[in-house]
Amino acid sequence: MKKILSIILIVTLMTTMVTGCGAKKQEVTTGEKKDVVKEKDTKSEEKENTAENVKIRFMGYNSESSRATYLKLLEEKLPNIEVQFEFVNNDNFSNILNSQLAAGNAPDIIEGGSDTKLLANAGYLLDLTDQEFVKRYMDVGLKSFSVDGKVYATPLQSWFQGIFYNKKIFRDNNLEAPKSLDEFIGLLADLDAKGIKPIAVGAADGDILSKNLMGMALNYFYNTEAGNGFDESFNKGEGKLADNWTEASKQYVKLMEKMFTPDMLGISADQAKDEFATGKAAMFSSGPWDVNILKEKNPDLELAMFSFQGETGKTGWLIGGTGSCLEINAKSEHIAEALQVLDLTATAEAQAALIKDNTGSSYLKGVKVDMDPIYDDCQETFQAGNIHAPWVGWTAGTPVWQTLCKSLQEVLAGTKEIEQVLIDADEKNSIILESIAD
Amino acid sequence: MITRKKEQVFFWMIAPSFIGFVIFFILPAIMSLGYSFTNWSVYKVDFNFIGIKNYLKLFNDAGTMAAVGNSLRYAVIITIIQNTLAIAFSVFLSKKGLMVNLVKTVLFLPAVLSILVVGYLWSYMMTSSDSGLLNSILHTFGMGSVNWLGNANIALYSVLATQVWQWTGWSLVIYIANLKSIDGALYEAANIDGASGRQVFLNITLPLLYPAVSFNVLMSLIGGFKIFDSIFAMTGGGPGYATETIMTTLIRIGFTEGRNAYSCAFAMIFFVIVFVITKIIQFLFSKWEGSVL
Repeated sequence: MKKILSIILIVTLMTTMVTGCGAKKQEVTTGEKKDVVKEKDTKSEEKENTAENVKIRFMGYNSESSRATYLKLLEEKLPNIEVQFEFVNNDNFSNILNSQLAAGNAPDIIEGGSDTKLLANAGYLLDLTDQEFVKRYMDVGLKSFSVDGKVYATPLQSWFQGIFYNKKIFRDNNLEAPKSLDEFIGLLADLDAKGIKPIAVGAADGDILSKNLMGMALNYFYNTEAGNGFDESFNKGEGKLADNWTEASKQYVKLMEKMFTPDMLGISADQAKDEFATGKAAMFSSGPWDVNILKEKNPDLELAMFSFQGETGKTGWLIGGTGSCLEINAKSEHIAEALQVLDLTATAEAQAALIKDNTGSSYLKGVKVDMDPIYDDCQETFQAGNIHAPWVGWTAGTPVWQTLCKSLQEVLAGTKEIEQVLIDADEKNSIILESIAD
Repeated sequence: MITRKKEQVFFWMIAPSFIGFVIFFILPAIMSLGYSFTNWSVYKVDFNFIGIKNYLKLFNDAGTMAAVGNSLRYAVIITIIQNTLAIAFSVFLSKKGLMVNLVKTVLFLPAVLSILVVGYLWSYMMTSSDSGLLNSILHTFGMGSVNWLGNANIALYSVLATQVWQWTGWSLVIYIANLKSIDGALYEAANIDGASGRQVFLNITLPLLYPAVSFNVLMSLIGGFKIFDSIFAMTGGGPGYATETIMTTLIRIGFTEGRNAYSCAFAMIFFVIVFVITKIIQFLFSKWEGSVL
């Protein structure tokens, strides 16, 4: 009796294990006729799927609240397609996406960005070059997402980051938005002297430190002759940050000494956001994606933004440009449906929906955006076209960005010099380019 | 008496778990070893055999070696502190009583919480911003703020402290169980002989705790080497690379940078380090066990 019970238990355990491997293995072991029948059944199921709801996965690193109107539009205009939006924080996005791509279960639509060229080179993304909707976009918007003349993603709204300031604090202290780096440094000192925390900074992940270095690079390098075409040579491993960003890095150190303190390394970006929203700090560097969150935390907050400043008499820069984009997983089982989503996104209505929750400009031809008065101080910057995010167009954008973040933290902690930061970034670029070389 | 037939039954009973272990652990480990000799990257699907180049690069990579150093330091320190505290608490809490049971529960409770939740909660308590609880307490006593998670010299120890708080209770439970198995007659005999508390602890309690000690020390060491969740939640490996450990570096290289083969080589090195240390600890404890018996 015990022997029989043991055998039954063993067989049950083994069966449950094998069942977990799924129906596909069973399909492989059935006879040809059954396979043909299964194929026909699968095809008819697919037909049924396109007639009824097809579920597609859409993974993005901008929060659902910043895509709410757009997602609602997709639901209304594409009733047969159920878009399952998955938000993954930007800190982990590459980690999670890369592991899903390697495992073969990546989402159908990916909100891409600085990784687009790497993913395209590896064959993960669908070539969109011949799609009709691609022609509706401006070439400048498609450039960052193209490899060897082929387009692998379509741009979402542009993004930009500057420095938000509390208008009430500025008004009460007779202060104005600065027009140069020296004025900005003076502003920091003025606020500090008045017992007001000048700027809320969450340097725990290093992002804000890198953005400020970028701000200096834009003002002191990219607006010079040497800045033209640098990103292309950087992507070939020829251009070096250590050779070209020397002036920018000097200005960064000058700014860092007045703007950042080591205790900011122990504050996260969310905690800094809270400080600014609750009026404990006069300024906070961020972009339109945080406006709704700041207003939710403090509906009475009077917001305005100015750009990253440089030399006196020259127009400042905003960090931004082509932001995220929409890519289609080349191995998606719902490519037709994914293309429908991208086709709808390339309409004025969809672009307006995107911009409603996350201000930016559209790369769709003929679409104009009325900017919120919050950005009045940035009008000169917008008109000059001084918006750029260099690392988005870098082949090794994400790894180099992360290296800059970490190394700049070490500079703030006093354990590294700024020159070494640029050397570290160049080295990381070389390593990644070498790892993907033929 | 166990017969061959009964052994066969036992074998078939553990077969499902064994098969799962082979599929989800042994096979991937062997595959990782194989990949470590290639240049496979997420961004380069076609890869080639490159010999030991990944291993040579690893030993010349200052960042990677620093991560190994951080992990070693973290594992040793948390093992010593956690087990010392757990043994001390277990001796004091080995008596019966309502308050004793309450204290045991309070000490064990943190071990029930999710590591990530604990990490995020502590990161808010340790923040340098005005809302930080720990610094607010220090200000109450007239002391200055401490940059718990932003100071490269103390960030790792700040994370370590939260993990000691979370896992000492876990070790405590195991030590208490072992303590209960020690024959009370030994303590009576020692009492009759006039042994002091210190002599009783050093000559009876501690030696007979060797099963729990060897288990907890091994688990603490291995757990210390594998630390990831709390570092991820509290510092992200920063500031800079001050709290980067073997696991955070593995994730960064393997997933963020997509250098899977290089990451596999690092995983192999990690396996060898943990294996060697485990064998050393097991050897030392077997010597200790021999001297006790």
